[in-house]
Amino acid sequence: MFHWLEKNPFFFAVGVFIVIAFAGLIEILPNFAEASRPIAGLKPYTVLELAGKNVYKKDTCIACHSQLIRPFKSETDRYGQVSLSGEYAYDRPFLWGSKRTGPDLHRVGNYRTTDWHENHMWDPKSVVPQSIMPAYKHMFTNIADIETAYAEAVTVKNIFATPYGDEIKGTKEAWEAYKPKVLEEAKLIAADMKNQDVKDAVAKGEIPEIVAIIAYLNRLK
Amino acid sequence: MQSNAALEYDYTVAKLFTYTAILFGLIGMLIGTLIASQMAFPELNYLFGEYGTFSRLRPLHTNVVIFGFTVSGVFATFYYLGQRVLKVSMAESKFLMFIGKLQFVLYVILALGMVVSLLMGYSTSKEYAQMEWPLDLLTVVVWVLWGISIFGLIGIRREKSLYISLWYYIACFLGVAMLYLFNNMEVPTYLASGGLGSIMHSVSMYSGTNDALVQWWWGHNAVAFVFTVPIVAMIYYFLPKESGQAIYSYKLSLLSFWGLMFVYLWAGSHHLLYSTVPDWMQTMGSVFSVVLILPSWGSAINMLLTMKGEWNQLTENPLIKFMVLASTFYMLSTLEGPIQAIKSVNAIAHFTDWIPGHVHDGVLGWVAFMIMSGLFHMAPRMYKREIYSKKLMEAQFWIQTTAVVLYFTSMWIAGITQGMMWRAVDEYGNLMYSFIDTVAVLHPYYAIRALAGVLYVTGFVMFAYNMIKTMSSSRELTEEPQFRSPMA
Amino acid sequence: MDIRNLQGYASFFMTIFLVIFLYGYIIHLYRSEKKGEKDYEKYGNIALDDEIDSTPVESGSEHQSEKRGAK
Repeated sequence: MFHWLEKNPFFFAVGVFIVIAFAGLIEILPNFAEASRPIAGLKPYTVLELAGKNVYKKDTCIACHSQLIRPFKSETDRYGQVSLSGEYAYDRPFLWGSKRTGPDLHRVGNYRTTDWHENHMWDPKSVVPQSIMPAYKHMFTNIADIETAYAEAVTVKNIFATPYGDEIKGTKEAWEAYKPKVLEEAKLIAADMKNQDVKDAVAKGEIPEIVAIIAYLNRLK
Repeated sequence: MQSNAALEYDYTVAKLFTYTAILFGLIGMLIGTLIASQMAFPELNYLFGEYGTFSRLRPLHTNVVIFGFTVSGVFATFYYLGQRVLKVSMAESKFLMFIGKLQFVLYVILALGMVVSLLMGYSTSKEYAQMEWPLDLLTVVVWVLWGISIFGLIGIRREKSLYISLWYYIACFLGVAMLYLFNNMEVPTYLASGGLGSIMHSVSMYSGTNDALVQWWWGHNAVAFVFTVPIVAMIYYFLPKESGQAIYSYKLSLLSFWGLMFVYLWAGSHHLLYSTVPDWMQTMGSVFSVVLILPSWGSAINMLLTMKGEWNQLTENPLIKFMVLASTFYMLSTLEGPIQAIKSVNAIAHFTDWIPGHVHDGVLGWVAFMIMSGLFHMAPRMYKREIYSKKLMEAQFWIQTTAVVLYFTSMWIAGITQGMMWRAVDEYGNLMYSFIDTVAVLHPYYAIRALAGVLYVTGFVMFAYNMIKTMSSSRELTEEPQFRSPMA
Repeated sequence: MDIRNLQGYASFFMTIFLVIFLYGYIIHLYRSEKKGEKDYEKYGNIALDDEIDSTPVESGSEHQSEKRGAK
């Protein structure tokens, strides 16, 4: 009776598909209704922070750093309060990572400063002598792509109803009008830094990647 | 039907994908060895400036070995054995021949695009799905073309009943298609914002916990449908054919196939234990991971029993050695995986080096061994020459086996050490070690792992050399060998 | 009854059903072979005897008669 399937490729394929799709139907779909509600008071990323998040993605920080504090005392002692689902509501994509070659970063903004990050990114060993993390000197010269970050904010606002203000709109004019705000934010970060090239770049209206990523890391709380 | 007496299997497309498998295997493993060495010796991060850091190269390593090496191997073996078990030649259909070649050309463009874009830093940061949306679209085209080839060949077959290997190829095709599509749902920001910013950037359709679920539903099942299912397809053909023994039990293969199909998908959430996904899903992932041992071992035991009464071949034929060891490593990693999926074990193992250790005893010991032995088996038939050197193959086998053993033992120790140190507390309940202590202690294991990488790559270079020599200058064969591959 | 309860019952009966189905399938496979209705193991030969001109283990219905003769 059953050997019929192996002779009928079409029904065989349909059979395989049903069997493999079944798990997804039961296990994955039901969660979609509930799990992406933000916790109270959660603010969407600013454009500068989004640009920093894109630097985080560009240099694949998740290869070595997680952003997920598990419910164990050893983890809450080390990294802070347990991670909650609603904290990730504006993370597209999620950046939990799967490997901790370096420590978790989900609340790194609570215990590291702009100054610390600046030294650490320039030369990790100057701050943590035994560190095996590479230096990211190129972040001090590469200019962050703020326009793309702005485009991302527009996209999530229009399509996923992420609560950004009215000034974020998908037009060239709106972007030009918004640019100074991002620069203001960057200047605040740069003021806490000592690298002169970075300060000069920001004064000229260009934002190096390091400023963006520090904005993002400081935001992780 | 065809009265053409000279009708032969046409291996043009299989040969093309054989070349890319060798090329991408070499590139992917070299990068892998470099980044493994960087963890032991961080100075190696600065060889190529911005493009040589661990973090830039790591996605390149995983993507090149998965989508370059493994997928090439899957395509090559399919275009070889698909014809044979259906008893129909690609030469019989101009259309399928065209599709096959088109698929290859687009695949090469895709692979190059992937390498360049990842080096430049265009990455969605979703593991094993880092390619940005234009490349995702191209992937879909390549995959659909492969589907046309599979079902096209099946459509003109002479053998009515589909052989076991084909079930697995069909499953690979459908499974990857479904998971890849869902996981890579993304909105290009350039298009959605009316032309602002970079065209290469996109945001995921899902956010936070949901994104994690979909991602690991894919991440886990990429292992299922790229590293397991098509590789099982290979061993179901190549081991019986090389040894001349029919598969031990066809019935068992039926049971393990449907078992694997049903169970595998459920287990994805074991990557998210103790995370913010709902508890019942985590438990489901744990339970099904353990159940997964049954169908996995069903296939592996079927393989080992196929050799029943023929174990002398193990000493005589290095290809049989490769395949038997591959199925043994398959058993090892399908036992290890469920152990790691038990919640209390996972609490220690997650985020540590035990996880890459587990992945690599699977991919080095099982996937790569199986692809290499498949290509070795195909070579004399495709190029009508005997395999260039048996001695070299023997040496390669032992070097690479040593490499795999060094790799997983060092990572087991490293992972468990680190997991235990993270949670160690003194008598007052305070953490005993700062994070950097748990990094510094791993140096010797990272060094051993780097050595294992060097050994494995050495073995792969021997494989590549042996293959190239076989293609070009080995002794020619007058007729096609039936079972055992001839080698000098 | 709320959705959690329904899920629980559904999962319980689904498990029972699958177990019966699996064992039924195994029994079916072995019984039909014992009775001689089916020889599953012959399909294993598809891999061994795979020359383009060898006789298919099970050929398509119309044109199997004129398959190139014995090997």
